[in-house]
Amino acid sequence: MIALPLLLLAAIALALAVGHQGADSVLRHLYLVPTLWAGLTRGAFGGGLIGGLAGLLHAPTALPAVERAGLTSQTLDGLLSIVLPAAAGLLVGRLVDAARGREARLAAVLAMQRCLHAAGPLQERLTDVAEELRVALSARRLALMVGADVHTALLASVPTGTLVDPASAAGWTLRTGQSVTSRDLAVDPRVAAVEPQDPTPLRGLTVPLRSGAGMVGVMAVEWAGELSRATRAAAEELALHTGLVVENARLTMRQLRFGEELEEKITAATARLVELDRAKTEFLSVVSHELRTPLTALQGFSELLLRSAVPPEKVHRCLVYIHTEACALGRIVGELLDLSRIEAGRPLEMKPERIDLDLLMERNVDLFAAEHRQHRFRWTPSPPGVELRADPDALDRMLKNLLSNAVKYSPRGGEVVVSASPALDQPGMVEVAVEDDGVGIPAEQLSRIFDKYVRVAHPETTAARGLGLGLSLVRALAEAHGGRVEVDSLPGKGSRFRLLLPGR
Amino acid sequence: MLLLSAPFETTAAERPRPLATAVIQLGAAAIAVIGIGLTIGRLLPGAGVVGDAIAGAGVHGGLIGLGWLIATEATPGWMGPVARIAGAVLVVLIASHLGPWGVLASMLPPAVLWWEARRRAGLRMLGVCGTRLSYALAGLTAGAFLGGHLLMTAALTFGYHVQTGGVRGYLGAVTYDVGANVLSAEWLFRGVLFSLLWRRFAFWPAAALSTALAVVRYLMDPALPHSADARAGAIFYLGALGLVACGLRAWSGSLLPGYFAALAFFVAYRTLAP
Repeated sequence: MIALPLLLLAAIALALAVGHQGADSVLRHLYLVPTLWAGLTRGAFGGGLIGGLAGLLHAPTALPAVERAGLTSQTLDGLLSIVLPAAAGLLVGRLVDAARGREARLAAVLAMQRCLHAAGPLQERLTDVAEELRVALSARRLALMVGADVHTALLASVPTGTLVDPASAAGWTLRTGQSVTSRDLAVDPRVAAVEPQDPTPLRGLTVPLRSGAGMVGVMAVEWAGELSRATRAAAEELALHTGLVVENARLTMRQLRFGEELEEKITAATARLVELDRAKTEFLSVVSHELRTPLTALQGFSELLLRSAVPPEKVHRCLVYIHTEACALGRIVGELLDLSRIEAGRPLEMKPERIDLDLLMERNVDLFAAEHRQHRFRWTPSPPGVELRADPDALDRMLKNLLSNAVKYSPRGGEVVVSASPALDQPGMVEVAVEDDGVGIPAEQLSRIFDKYVRVAHPETTAARGLGLGLSLVRALAEAHGGRVEVDSLPGKGSRFRLLLPGR
Repeated sequence: MLLLSAPFETTAAERPRPLATAVIQLGAAAIAVIGIGLTIGRLLPGAGVVGDAIAGAGVHGGLIGLGWLIATEATPGWMGPVARIAGAVLVVLIASHLGPWGVLASMLPPAVLWWEARRRAGLRMLGVCGTRLSYALAGLTAGAFLGGHLLMTAALTFGYHVQTGGVRGYLGAVTYDVGANVLSAEWLFRGVLFSLLWRRFAFWPAAALSTALAVVRYLMDPALPHSADARAGAIFYLGALGLVACGLRAWSGSLLPGYFAALAFFVAYRTLAP
C-alpha cells in the first residue's frame, strides 16, 4: 500500500517541476498529503519514508535559494519545508503505530479470554493463546509454560514441538521469577547456543506470568530482527494479562470440577438418605414385628394365668415362656438403647477386666448349641499367653451377636467355629474369630454390613429375625475398646469375622 | 526455541577476543604496502599507476582485512584469505587503468571475498548470502534516487554539471568502486560493524554508529574534494546512503542490496564534475 502514496508523491513532484514552482510555492505543502496518507496507512516507517522522500524532492528547489540568499526568513521557510514532511510523517506514523499496538494488545487479550474460556483441554487452549500472543507481538516464536515446576508445567509453543531444558532461560525465570532479555540469543554468552548462521539477530525475552496468587508460569518470546522498547513493554503487559487470564481459567476449571464433585457427592448423599429412609421404614416394620412377637407371648401366657385355673406344672412352663420372651424383649430394648446412645454420640461405658476367653467361648457355644440343633458348634481353646482385658458384658454381647449372625446366615445348618489367638498380622492385638460355612456375603456388600439397619438380602435368609443392628453394635463396641472388626467372605462358601482387640 | 532448549548460565562471561595483536600485524602490513606503493609512485614516474594501485590495495585490503579480523575474532589462519582478497584488489586497481576492458576485472575482489566468506559458516551472520530480486531492485532504486538527487542538487545549488566525456576515466572510477571502494566500505561498515552492533543494540544506534564511522572514513579519503560544500554534501549523502544500506541489510538479511545501492549511487556520483 506504500506504492499509492509513492505515486502521488511522484505526481506532485512532477507537477511542481513542470509548473516551474519555486521554493516558496504554496503547492509544496501538497507533499503533506501522501506523507500523512502513508503515515496513517503504514505507520512510522511509511510516514517517515514518504516524508523523507518529499523533503528530498523539495530540497533541489529550496537549497539553491539558500545558496543564493543565505539564511533569510524565506529560505528558512524553505528549509523547514524540507524537514516538515518527514517530521509530520514520523509523528503521525508513530501515533498510528501506538494506536494499532494498543488495538492489537486489546484484541489479543479478548482473544485470550475467548480461547481460555472455550471447552477443551487446557493444553490446546494454551496453544491457541500462544498463537494469539505471537501474532500480537509479531514474534517468530512464543511459548507459554504454566505451572510451578519446569518438569510438570504445561507447555504450549508456536511453532509446536519445542524441547524444554530445565536449565534454560525459561526454566531460570520459572525458578527465580526474574525476566531475561537477550539482544541476540545466537551470540549471548549466557546462552549455550550453536554457532550463529542467521544474518538477523534473534532477540529473546522471558517474562514471568503472575497473578494475585503469585507466579503461575512463564512466557518466552523470540523475535527475528528488531525488538523495540514499545514491543517489549507490550510483551510485559500481555504477560500480565496472560497470567491473570490463565489464573482465571484455572480457577474456573477448579470451580467447575468442585461443582461436579459436589454434585456427585450430593447425588450420593441423596441416594444414601433415600436408602436410609427405606432402611428406617423397614427397621420400624421389623422392630414392630420383633416387639410384637414377645409381647404377644407375654400377653397370651399372662392372660392364661390370670383367667383360668392352670395346673401347677403348666404354670411353671408358662412362667418359663414368659421369662424367655421378657429376656428377648429386654435384649431388643437394650440394643435399641445402645443404638440411641451411639447415634447421640455418647461414649459407651466400658469396665475392662481380665477375661477368661476359653470360658466365654465355651459358655456361648454351649448356649447356641442348645438352641440351634441343626448347627454344629465348635470352639478351639486359645493358646497359652493369650490375655485380654475387656468389658465382659460387652465382649459377651459381641460374641453372641457374631454367633447369632453366623446362625442366621447359615439357614441350612452347618459348622460354626469359634477361636481366639494372637493376631499374627496385627502385633499386640488378640483375635476372636467366628467362622461359618453359610451363604456368605457378596463383595460389593462387604463395606456396608457394619452400617446400621443393613441386612444383606438373600433368598434363603429372608425369614431370619433381626433389626440389622447386631454387626453395627459389634463394631461400636470393638471401637470403644480401641479395636475393630473385620470380615472375609465368599458368597456360597461362608464368612469369617475377626474381632481384633488390644491385648494386655 | 533457544529460550526453552538452550542451557542458560547467568554468570557466563564473554569470551576474550585476541584482536589487538592481529590488528597491529594487519595495520603494519597495510602501512608497509601503502608505503611501498607511494614510494614506487614517487621514485618511478613511469610506474605511478602501479604505485597508486599498490597503495590503494593497502588501504582497501587493510579495511577488508580489519573487517575479516573483527568478524572471525582473529581466528588463526586469517592471513591467507586477507592476502588473497588484497591481491584481487590490487589486480582490479591496476586493471582500472588499463582502459575500458579493465572493468571486466572489477568483479574479481567481490568474487574472492564472497568465496572466502562463504567457506566459513560463521560469516553468514554478516549477511554473506544471496538475496531476492526485489531486494536487489530496491537497493538499486534507492541508490539511483540518491545519486540522481545528488546530481540535481549539486547542479541547481552549486552549478556542478554532469561529465559527458572521458569514458575511460569514468569506467576506471566505476571499476575502482565495484572492486575496492564500495566493496571495502560495505564489507567493513555494513557487513561487519553494523551486523555486530545490531546484535548488541537496537537498529538505530547500530546504524548511526556504523554510518558515522563510514562517513569519517570517506572524509579521510584524499580523493574527496576539500571544499566545504563538497564535504557537507558528502556527509549528507554518504550518511543517507549508509542508513539506507543498513536498512536494506536489516530488511533483506543480505549485504547485496546495500552494495547495489552504493554502486548505483557512485555510478551517478562519478559523473559529477565541478
